[in-house]
Amino acid sequence: MMSSAQIEIQLIASLAAIACAIPGTFLVLRKMAMISDAISHSILPGIVIGFFITHDLNSPLLILLAAATGIITVILVEYIQKTGLVKEDTAIGLVFPALFSIGVILIAKNANDVHLDVDAVLLGELAFAPFDRFIISDIDLGPKSLWVIGSILIVTIGLLFAFFKELKVSTFDAGLAASLGFSPAIMHYGLMSIASVTTVGAFDAVGAILVVALMIAPAATAYLLTNNLKRMLLYAIGFGVFCAISGYWVAHWLDASIAGSITTMLGIIFLLVYLFAPNKGIIAVLYREKQQRTEVSLLTFLLHLKNHNEEEERHVNHLNEHINWQKVRSKTVLELALKNNMIVVDNNIVSLTEKGNDFTSQAIDYIITNEDAEIEHMKDDFFLFRG
Amino acid sequence: MAQKIAVKVDDLTVAYNYKPVLWDIDLEIPEGVLMAIVGPNGAGKSTLIKSILGILKPIAGSVSIYDKPYEKQRQLVAYVPQKGSVDWDFPTTALDVVMMGTYGSLGWIKRPKQKEKKQALEALEKVGMLPFKNRQISQLSGGQQQRIFLARALVQNASIYFMDEPFQGVDATTEIAIINILKELRKAGKTVIVVHHDLQTVPEYFDWVTFLNVKKIATGPVKDIFNDDNLTKTYGINYKVSIQE
Repeated sequence: MMSSAQIEIQLIASLAAIACAIPGTFLVLRKMAMISDAISHSILPGIVIGFFITHDLNSPLLILLAAATGIITVILVEYIQKTGLVKEDTAIGLVFPALFSIGVILIAKNANDVHLDVDAVLLGELAFAPFDRFIISDIDLGPKSLWVIGSILIVTIGLLFAFFKELKVSTFDAGLAASLGFSPAIMHYGLMSIASVTTVGAFDAVGAILVVALMIAPAATAYLLTNNLKRMLLYAIGFGVFCAISGYWVAHWLDASIAGSITTMLGIIFLLVYLFAPNKGIIAVLYREKQQRTEVSLLTFLLHLKNHNEEEERHVNHLNEHINWQKVRSKTVLELALKNNMIVVDNNIVSLTEKGNDFTSQAIDYIITNEDAEIEHMKDDFFLFRG
Repeated sequence: MAQKIAVKVDDLTVAYNYKPVLWDIDLEIPEGVLMAIVGPNGAGKSTLIKSILGILKPIAGSVSIYDKPYEKQRQLVAYVPQKGSVDWDFPTTALDVVMMGTYGSLGWIKRPKQKEKKQALEALEKVGMLPFKNRQISQLSGGQQQRIFLARALVQNASIYFMDEPFQGVDATTEIAIINILKELRKAGKTVIVVHHDLQTVPEYFDWVTFLNVKKIATGPVKDIFNDDNLTKTYGINYKVSIQE
């Protein structure tokens, strides 16, 4: 039986995973994963200053102050980039260590006065989250961080439902969005604000740095599995929650850091999908390339048959040396052609069937004109013609 | 001329990092023309379109669409950006991209419904892309992607169409298909403005032309001003193009 603390920890981690996966999906699609890394570091001074003022890591004021530092990061990066003197990645690399180091110095200078631990901010300490309770007139309403991340999640989901189409169009085509009157700047800073607030809100769960993993890894994993934005969001949420819960139990069994275990699970899941995803996975891609090589060979072979009526050019043995292929390859190609009823072999002389002849003409037409409509049905059988 | 002015540009100057890319442009585009904007690389052709559409902020000058600022006339205008300006690996389908054309008339927050879907399907049909409606956009050829963009503009049912190099990287069949649709739009009284690269096809495709090279060189009917003199002024010394009748 799980203790209520265990349930609460898993609940906080899961809500954090969902809250991160939503902005994370759009960051990945906008190729801005590094910005989330920058935000996660540079909110440190915001957290520290907020803590000096509020003395409570879960105070809404602290979250807003820290999120503001995130936005300042984005603005600074863009400002430096706009000068045209350095590229975006350099600008990111300049801004976040500067802000981060201010935070580190602030903590070091005041370490005696305030109880704020660098490790706790950077790495998170989910195991302690259930101890900090939200109590109103003696009624225990659960851990504070559950309320914090829950509120952020509700706002995020509300905004996602309200502005899904605006987010989609401004992410896909900022120029069109601007011409339609959906200011890409508003969407951009809106997304950055949500990402910053979520990063601050989730640092209890996985820490300010590992929160990047919760934003980027589930979205990157989902991206490999679908061609549909809504599904990508759902898959990202699913992976995030799965890793949050399984990561918790891995930490439990190994007696290790919860944040570390969640992040490790995210890495493992991404690796598995990267290898085995049906279309975009490495194995599928390699298999498809092998198929394509065979099919190009098949087409070369069929073309040769079409171009030559002389029997000696079409003799099985001659083909071997003429097209200059290894035996294995010739055999594969010959078998493939036979299996598809494209050729007949009579007395070791190879001839095209009617189907083989048609197929070759169509394929050549396609290669020359690059007009797609006519060979749609061929695409189902052969990888070669798929994009 | 009794013709109405669809687009009017006054003293427009646009700069990137204080380097002017468009300098003091005055331009009047009459209603109902099919106009090419031509000029060398870096002449500011795309910049001109983007400034008219409010995507770029000019440092001086103003733009009006039927005598009103662009912000008040968005519904009248459709825009086809350069194909290379978007990420075609974005997780979405051909139909969904065309639906984006309806977002402008929907406004903020409201979602597209059956009516918008129907309009999108009709536009796909018009550009011959209906069989590909559910295909992921990265699985389309360059010409097909351009047709999708054109369908997205058609679905806006605008009065003025701005297109940034719609013939870039498309096959000959698609080029003909696109120009036929543009000519149909003109016949229906629409104004079509196209950033164009292939000078050879200007007389065949367009009836109006603007020569641009940071400054406006000339604008007017193709038959009057598309000549070696203006080409040389735009492209440099002794530029000749053999125009086949």
